[in-house]
Amino acid sequence: MPKAIKSDQAMNRLTIESTDKAVFYQQMVQQHGSPLLILDCDQLVQQYNALSNALPDVQLFYAIKALPHPAAIQTLDTLGAGFDIATSGEIELLRQQGGRARQTIHTHPIKRDADIRHALRFGCTTFVIDNVWELEKFVHYRHRVGLLVRVSFPNPNTPIDLSRKFGCREDEASILIQKAQSLGLHVKGLSFHAGSQCPDSGNHVHAIEQCGKIINEVYQDSGKLLSVLDIGGGFPVEYMQPMMDIESFCAPIRQALKDLPEHVQVIAEPGRYLSAPAMKAVSSVMGKAKRGDACWYYLDDGIYGSYSGQLFDHVTYPLTVFSDIQAKEQAVLAGPTCDSIDVIAEQVSIAPLSIGDIVVGHQMGAYTSATSTHFNLFDKAKIVAINQPAQHTENIFQLNNN
Amino acid sequence: MKTYSETLYDSYGQEFAVDKVYFENKTDHQHLIIFENAKFGRVMALDGIIQTTEADEFIYHEMLTHVPLMAHGKVKRVLIIGGGDGGMLREVCKHHSVEHITQVEIDAQVVDMCKQYLPNHSAGAYDDPRVHIVIDDGINFVRECKDHFDVIISDSTDPIGPGDVLFTSDFYQHCKKCLSEGGILVTQNGVAYMQLDEVVTTAKRLQPYFSDYSFYSAAIPTYIGGIMTFAWATDNPDLRTLPVEKIAQRFEAAKINTRYYNPAIHVASFALPQYILDALEKDA
Repeated sequence: MPKAIKSDQAMNRLTIESTDKAVFYQQMVQQHGSPLLILDCDQLVQQYNALSNALPDVQLFYAIKALPHPAAIQTLDTLGAGFDIATSGEIELLRQQGGRARQTIHTHPIKRDADIRHALRFGCTTFVIDNVWELEKFVHYRHRVGLLVRVSFPNPNTPIDLSRKFGCREDEASILIQKAQSLGLHVKGLSFHAGSQCPDSGNHVHAIEQCGKIINEVYQDSGKLLSVLDIGGGFPVEYMQPMMDIESFCAPIRQALKDLPEHVQVIAEPGRYLSAPAMKAVSSVMGKAKRGDACWYYLDDGIYGSYSGQLFDHVTYPLTVFSDIQAKEQAVLAGPTCDSIDVIAEQVSIAPLSIGDIVVGHQMGAYTSATSTHFNLFDKAKIVAINQPAQHTENIFQLNNN
Repeated sequence: MKTYSETLYDSYGQEFAVDKVYFENKTDHQHLIIFENAKFGRVMALDGIIQTTEADEFIYHEMLTHVPLMAHGKVKRVLIIGGGDGGMLREVCKHHSVEHITQVEIDAQVVDMCKQYLPNHSAGAYDDPRVHIVIDDGINFVRECKDHFDVIISDSTDPIGPGDVLFTSDFYQHCKKCLSEGGILVTQNGVAYMQLDEVVTTAKRLQPYFSDYSFYSAAIPTYIGGIMTFAWATDNPDLRTLPVEKIAQRFEAAKINTRYYNPAIHVASFALPQYILDALEKDA
């Protein structure tokens, strides 16, 4: 049996495995159709446990936006995770899955009044603000809510800098807190987002230190206790490049958290780290053509579907094809739509594939199906969950099972 | 062990042990649940907020009913806005002098569900021949109503849900229009210590339409945070200051059994704590 051979054209982009390794995926496709996304709940559990172990004193709130799927929510709920929600749609999904409202935080810095009311009626009472206009929206609900002020810590080293669109300047935080107090609103803490898919935790450490200073200053100036620090997400997973393992990534964060005032409770909003490794995309070759030197393979999933993250999330996913033939040829893997931008991989060197053969994409749980479209009215890939933990026997919203 | 946590406030709340879930509905962007609790009997909660419990509902329903009816003295026609659980209806029906009761409920299913799962609230009152049930939004009803009532009772939900229109100037204005001369409007007005500005806002909104408006109060254990206030609005200022003897006389004549209400409580309930008076910028 030949070992997995790494494609020599694109770095680690494409691995070729023997056809016997495809049996599981073929069976899944036979059963559920193609294209398919296979969500392995065991992997979610492993990721959650790894992050929990790396940040033992931090309460984790899964960012639903990364993979808004019932099985993901149920699995993480079983583990005791909280949930980070940003929209009314996410609230409704959580409600249907029995998510406990007391364990949710609403983290969208910009909301309509109807969104605030919807979240309150769901039972979520923690909200994020980063400007005075947003603050004023809460005056009507001031007896019911606790607010986090989101502070901006720009990070040019990440593919997605989440401190550009949202977050107030450090020097604005205490002004917002004062303003909140004058309006009778309770600010209970600070939040930040150090960036997505951070190569190291330097910006987290910097942000924790600066937030610690703000917390101390606010207390000294006004006696106001800020008791919550939300350190956001940004915990990296490996796509094409090797990344720091989670333990090494979190060690400096743990150290920085030790210097916070003792009363501060720390929470985080991991999305990608929990969900990305938990899902694989399975697509099938629906047609092929020889164009110039390359063989074009048209898959039934592409940039407008599960591979949308290659555009929106700036990620390139590792791929696997299955063949027992040693010969290789230049190939292009394209998506199914009529648009020429819909190409998943170019200049790869693989064994010849036949129509109906399977291509597997890895690390495809975060911001993949979440951002896929219905362009050309192709159906979105179906998500099939495997290894789901036993269902709650008492899966009732807002009921706490202790 | 199962528990239910109320989510009314971010930094404070009450929790119930759940012995059994009788009913749960998670549709139309709402979550309604009725469950059994050892201390409070059947508990109904909507969108994370306790609405009523079998054990302490009598305080709330007796105070919103008997205080205005006894103060008025000759009530024949009563309008109840909301009150789908039937508790208010039960108390109003105790008054033999009352000839007509209209209850306006926004959702017919609430009435059916409460009859089934909270039968002790209505205790058969829906079968009383004096009762007329209208399924409509309370604000629509009072806008279009041409009839007059001696007492209007607004038994609304929390002002963030569908009940929010029942706290508007528009609603109070149309209630005024529907009151007969010397009639009284009473409304549920929240727990003053927790939400003091609700008292102030309601006072401001009642002021243009009623020559006499104030609040009275009672402590209901599961409306947590201290006393609940009830808004009181009428054009006859004497009704609020009747002597206890007068109330006692009427109470005796009415032959009504109560568990919280009595003439002394009636008179005393209009005494307001200083923090409320200060907020209203009134003198005691």
